[in-house]
Amino acid sequence: MIQQDKPMNEQESLLIIQQMIQTAKQEQKDDGKGWILWGWLLFLASVFTFLNLKWEWVSMYFFWNLFGGLALALLLFTTVRFLFMKRKEKVRTYTKDLCEKLNIGFFIFLLLIIFSINLGVSPVKGFALLLGLYGFWMLIHGTMLNFKPSIIGAFVTWGLAFAGLYVQTFEWTMLLHSIAVLCGFIIPGHIAYAEFSKIKSENKG
Amino acid sequence: MFKELDPILHSQLRLAVISLLISVKEAEFTFLREKTNSTAGNLSVQIQKLKEAGYIDVVKQFKDNYPQTICKITKPGIKAFEEYVNNLQSYLGKG
Repeated sequence: MIQQDKPMNEQESLLIIQQMIQTAKQEQKDDGKGWILWGWLLFLASVFTFLNLKWEWVSMYFFWNLFGGLALALLLFTTVRFLFMKRKEKVRTYTKDLCEKLNIGFFIFLLLIIFSINLGVSPVKGFALLLGLYGFWMLIHGTMLNFKPSIIGAFVTWGLAFAGLYVQTFEWTMLLHSIAVLCGFIIPGHIAYAEFSKIKSENKG
Repeated sequence: MFKELDPILHSQLRLAVISLLISVKEAEFTFLREKTNSTAGNLSVQIQKLKEAGYIDVVKQFKDNYPQTICKITKPGIKAFEEYVNNLQSYLGKG
């Protein structure tokens, strides 16, 4: 416990500043749960669509429609939680505020691409643009949190987005999409979760 | 010639509060109490001193029928903290 009346020297002052800034920095960490959840959903949708294109179990976009339904339900849940739980946050950081704005921009652009695919843009090219958008989100988010796996994931995803422009079949698009979400969302998400859990347990101990 | 360290900031709890607030946009009283591991009474007194010095803004409001105190560092507070750190560095450099 901090003792107000205890005299302190310059070294102790510096130590308090370092400790408190470090404590505040922990508030800016992302637990990675969101990336893991969305990443796995996107990965499964693209892998099952790839397999479905090979073996033709159900209609071509069945798994993406299923994903869409789940995504809408999750989005609704997230929005409700955001609107009602936000007030209970004990601290607001500039990083969190920026993340919220980035996510809003990401989802609006995402909807624009989804609409354009539904209005006639080729799904092969549309998914390449989607990968470009994922990469943009990964780079900004990774830079804000100083989290290298996301930054690396962004460049891998952009590489796959360019490759996606040259593929001819939707099967290949799905394959590239699944690799991109694995490298850009799932792996960084699990790394972030492990780091977050480690810091949390250290703070408890 | 070494400048005197700002007496408002050269106190354990007030320095801890300012160091936390410099890193975030705003923070609730309960967050500051948790992170500084201080008592509510002591923290209230020190926050009042920082407010009187013009280093922080304090907003008291009700959210969902619960009282909420939100603290935010001001521009003079940021300037004072920067000066304090600069002066601290010159002292440490001397040693």
